[in-house]
Amino acid sequence: MTPNRRQIFAAFLAAAARPMRSADDSVTIAGKRPMILHNDRPEDLETPLRYFDSWVTPIDVFFVRQHLPRPATIDPAAYRLNISGMVAKPGQLTLADLQKLPQQTVPATLECTGNGRGFYTPKVPGIQWGRGAVGNAEWSGPRLSDVLKVAGVDTKAAFLELDGADVGVAATPDFVRSMPMEKAMHPATLLALKMNGQSPDIHGFPARLIVPGWDGTSWVKWVTRLTPTAELNKGFFMNPGYRYPKYSLPPGSAPNPAELEIIEGMPVKSSLTSPEDQSKISLGPTTIRGFAWAGENAIERVEVSTDGGSRWQNAQLSAQKLPFAWRLFTINWTPAAPGYYTIMSRATDTAGRVQPIVPAWNPSGYLWNGIDRVGVIVEKA
Amino acid sequence: MMRIRLALICLGSSVAAIAADQATLDLGKKEEARSCLACHSLRIIHSQRLARAAWGRELDKMAGWGSQIKEREALLEYLVANYGNDKPMPVPEMSANGK
Repeated sequence: MTPNRRQIFAAFLAAAARPMRSADDSVTIAGKRPMILHNDRPEDLETPLRYFDSWVTPIDVFFVRQHLPRPATIDPAAYRLNISGMVAKPGQLTLADLQKLPQQTVPATLECTGNGRGFYTPKVPGIQWGRGAVGNAEWSGPRLSDVLKVAGVDTKAAFLELDGADVGVAATPDFVRSMPMEKAMHPATLLALKMNGQSPDIHGFPARLIVPGWDGTSWVKWVTRLTPTAELNKGFFMNPGYRYPKYSLPPGSAPNPAELEIIEGMPVKSSLTSPEDQSKISLGPTTIRGFAWAGENAIERVEVSTDGGSRWQNAQLSAQKLPFAWRLFTINWTPAAPGYYTIMSRATDTAGRVQPIVPAWNPSGYLWNGIDRVGVIVEKA
Repeated sequence: MMRIRLALICLGSSVAAIAADQATLDLGKKEEARSCLACHSLRIIHSQRLARAAWGRELDKMAGWGSQIKEREALLEYLVANYGNDKPMPVPEMSANGK
């Protein structure tokens, strides 16, 4: 949305209004249990690993990544979705219009493009996410293709441009994204009005784009405009923002801007959630847990090693083997002796992709998917 | 004797440098609050550890996005001294329960 003065002022007010500070300088985010606080204005919140014990991640612990201040709360009755560009019937849809279209539910894993950035060496600018800028939810709403068909989308349009209700402060660019029309028209791409059956709230109420299998940058929140176009949007968040080197770079080196590509899809990845890195456990039976996901593919296998990667065993996977959504894994382990153990996890997807030992360093720290690894101290019982 | 004198000179000059730097660092800290807080809180800065060149690029980016940075050198010195890539990563902060 192009900000006008009133909207900028509203965004400032919204930013100033939350989160609330208490006397001890701690920050409270309404509706969220305690989260790893990377930033409070705007909110950048990471899910602590102890909450990752269910296939569906509850909204009250789901990670939050805001580029721009959260827009002032949208009145559902006043909400309008503007459709412009290469359509036969440009105009506006209300929330009721969107609710009248056939509603679909798609379980899908949403991951911030920079999840795991903190693991890259050398360090790169940006939020230093660990393992928790990811979550799995059941998203419900009309198919984006059905919404576009209502407006009579021109089949010759190559891209769909989207904007949300959030606006940049000062001269910060607006968060506008563009995606190939083929992905926009995919039957799993939704305009979600519900997240786990509830209001998406901070996650993009009243309408949030769901782009299953693609990184979070494409999942525009508070969607207010859909514009089929012939050309790709040229704004900051399409170029140079959220691009990845076409040819891998020596760590720490500068990219050639002409050789950066738009990120589409996600690599295969697993994360260990229990036991946590550098934790102490007592000698005896324990369960190693985690989750694994693979963008547009499903997870085929997760292997776990408890000896630094010398020997590997297949972990047990949760039953649902779906594209777009993660699978939880567990494996029982009884250490033979006290000591320090390096536990590792390695996922393989249905296309045969396997997690690498060393993910390619890139200047923005995107798409970390190295074989996961934690150190655990096993003490005498 | 010569060596001791040299060492004393070095010590003296480094003390002078630290003393001079403190005023710069104080100025940089003030400049951080003045030029950054209008748009975002400081946690997103303080949770990072970057080399001088990388901090410099961040300041250029923010200036391009409308931040009115007046004391750029002092701000850069302050960031490098406190949040340089030779400093350990901070322990993650937690938000309070909002439920």
